[in-house]
Amino acid sequence: MSETTGPKMVTLTIEGRTAVVPEGTSLIEAAKTVGVLIPHYCYHPGLPVAGVCRMCLVDVEKFPKLAPACATTVMEGQVVHVHSEKAREARTGVLEFLLINHPLDCPVCDQSGECELQDYTFQEGRAESRYEEPKRFNPVEDFGGDVLYVPNRCILCTRCVRFMGDVAHDPVLNVSERGDRAFIGKADGHDLTNVWAGNVVDLCPVGALLSKDFLNKARAWELDRSASICTGCSQGCNITVETRDNTVVRLKPRPNEAVNQYFMCEHGRLDYRWINRRDRLDQPQVRRADGALRVADWEEALDAAADTLRGRRVHVLASANASNEALFLAERLMAASGGRGWFRIARGAEAPLPGVPDLSLRAERAANATGARLLGFEELTGTPAIAPADAVLVLDDTLDGELPAGLVEALVRGATLVHAGTTLPAAIAGRASVVLPLTNHTEEEGTFTNLRGRVQRFLQSRTAPGLARPSWFVLGDLAERLDASAGFALPAEVFGAMASAHAAFSGLAYERLGLRGLPVLDAEARGLTVTDAVSA
Amino acid sequence: MTYGPSAGQLVRPPAHHHDEPYVPVFTGERREKLDVILSRYPTRMAALLPALWMVQDRHGWVSEHAVEEVAQVLDLSPAYVKGVLSFYTMYHQHPVGKHFIQVCTTTPCNVCGAEDVVKAFLDATGCGELGLTSDDGRFTVIEVECLGACGFATPVMINDEFIESVTPELAARIVAERD
Repeated sequence: MSETTGPKMVTLTIEGRTAVVPEGTSLIEAAKTVGVLIPHYCYHPGLPVAGVCRMCLVDVEKFPKLAPACATTVMEGQVVHVHSEKAREARTGVLEFLLINHPLDCPVCDQSGECELQDYTFQEGRAESRYEEPKRFNPVEDFGGDVLYVPNRCILCTRCVRFMGDVAHDPVLNVSERGDRAFIGKADGHDLTNVWAGNVVDLCPVGALLSKDFLNKARAWELDRSASICTGCSQGCNITVETRDNTVVRLKPRPNEAVNQYFMCEHGRLDYRWINRRDRLDQPQVRRADGALRVADWEEALDAAADTLRGRRVHVLASANASNEALFLAERLMAASGGRGWFRIARGAEAPLPGVPDLSLRAERAANATGARLLGFEELTGTPAIAPADAVLVLDDTLDGELPAGLVEALVRGATLVHAGTTLPAAIAGRASVVLPLTNHTEEEGTFTNLRGRVQRFLQSRTAPGLARPSWFVLGDLAERLDASAGFALPAEVFGAMASAHAAFSGLAYERLGLRGLPVLDAEARGLTVTDAVSA
Repeated sequence: MTYGPSAGQLVRPPAHHHDEPYVPVFTGERREKLDVILSRYPTRMAALLPALWMVQDRHGWVSEHAVEEVAQVLDLSPAYVKGVLSFYTMYHQHPVGKHFIQVCTTTPCNVCGAEDVVKAFLDATGCGELGLTSDDGRFTVIEVECLGACGFATPVMINDEFIESVTPELAARIVAERD
């Protein structure tokens, strides 16, 4: 990584600040490194450069005319003025042209508050319009999938066209007509049903492409945002969970060059309603002498759970969406008693995004199957070997309907069961001795390990219902009662214990993961590197 | 999408297909002609404009079906073909009259009375309005920008035929002579 072996570095001055960047960097990216944002519309780091919007014009000393910062590469000793009078005037002119046919309907526009047309017009546009003629009008068009097109707001930056063509390799969008009649067109009979098509809504710098799912649901400034990880598949796309009044209303991709660049798929994006479900477990329950599950307080419930598990081999049926921390603590219970751990995982068709290496909607539709495997869990195939004298800890809300055959048989013949989860499936309700309410991944913090062995943090974005507690907290308390070990006050402490106990996680510290994550030790030797055709 | 009329632009009729069943363009002789054209260019994409001309030559306009056919023949996406097709106003995305009358109304012609020539064509053909096709399907009249014959105002193009110094009287005669 040292500069002597890396690419040749170029030193230049941008707005009076010295930037040192690799040769070939564009001015717009070089400016970012010294904290200068050059206004732009058509440029996006995840797309090929088009240079069509003319918004990023900057003043470069010794250049005869203004240069588009997106399509101009850095040169040694260059002096760039972003806010010189000449550059400002040019961009003000560009903005005035962009607004000629723009309806200025911000009060009813979904993009309002996160709109780059608003931001830059506020920053350097004219205060008043000089345009008095009638504006062009085109009706709203349904592009299929989750996408709605409002042509009047469109500034024709072509980000969506380039995404569908160059990144998704599904070129169904074009620029139709020309001049002031131009609009984004869609090939007849081809809808935006590509599983990656929803990214055009994020890419659109204005309110021209909207999510039907999010339409009129909330204003951008009402939302609270937290960094998280998508649980849709084992890719582990970095996302932002956006909530309003403690309700998740939207998931957005969060840039991470190493995992998902700037994108996420529709499968992950639109699969959030379950997070808001109201029929949650919100109180601990203990089976009383009369055979019924009744509400208890946490102390009593934890004591009862410890009694249910104590002296027996503890097997764990875990969810592949449980955090590393929860799985680690569950694994300690298994290991101490000689039990085994299993997880079940839903599968679907793999759907790669061709323009991005190693980004795909993965076949394994859960966030932490790799973490579970690294921590000693096996995928449940066939009948779990559970003896009548054993105990079972269920950490899987989806275990409903037809329970695994071996489990039912063991329970009938005397095995005991503790259920810890966010809901209580009917199939479990009749068989659990103790029920412990847990938070879901948006109500606690922790880490997931993606299929390439990258350990990534997710943060809490909502408050939990009722008395539900984070999984690591509950399992820590349970362990405290069973083996007199010390409990944990923070997920970071659980992570630290996991790093000491498991070679794969050694060398990692919770605080150092940041919001981009770090790979587990020897990911390559563990077979977690790119082996499939997706990378090609 | 709907638009107000403007110079050189057709008023679009309601969307409907006049080309079912669609007769493919690139078969037999025309396919061979396209192959000759393709041999002149480094990429298949470069032959898009001539391919679209061949379609318009055959059908009089370029339908959605034709877009699909051209895209398939040239290995392009239909969206790309549609984008190029709609960029150029001289490709027709809707059926037009058998005699497509283009009257120059740019400055010198305008000064020399092009507006009256346009009106004479509209009256004589029965089109009524610029961009609309006459009920018998024979005529469509539009205004175009400079036809490059300012010294012979007003020039008119009917399909591939170029007529100079057209007056309102001549316009009526030209229409009467057409089949």
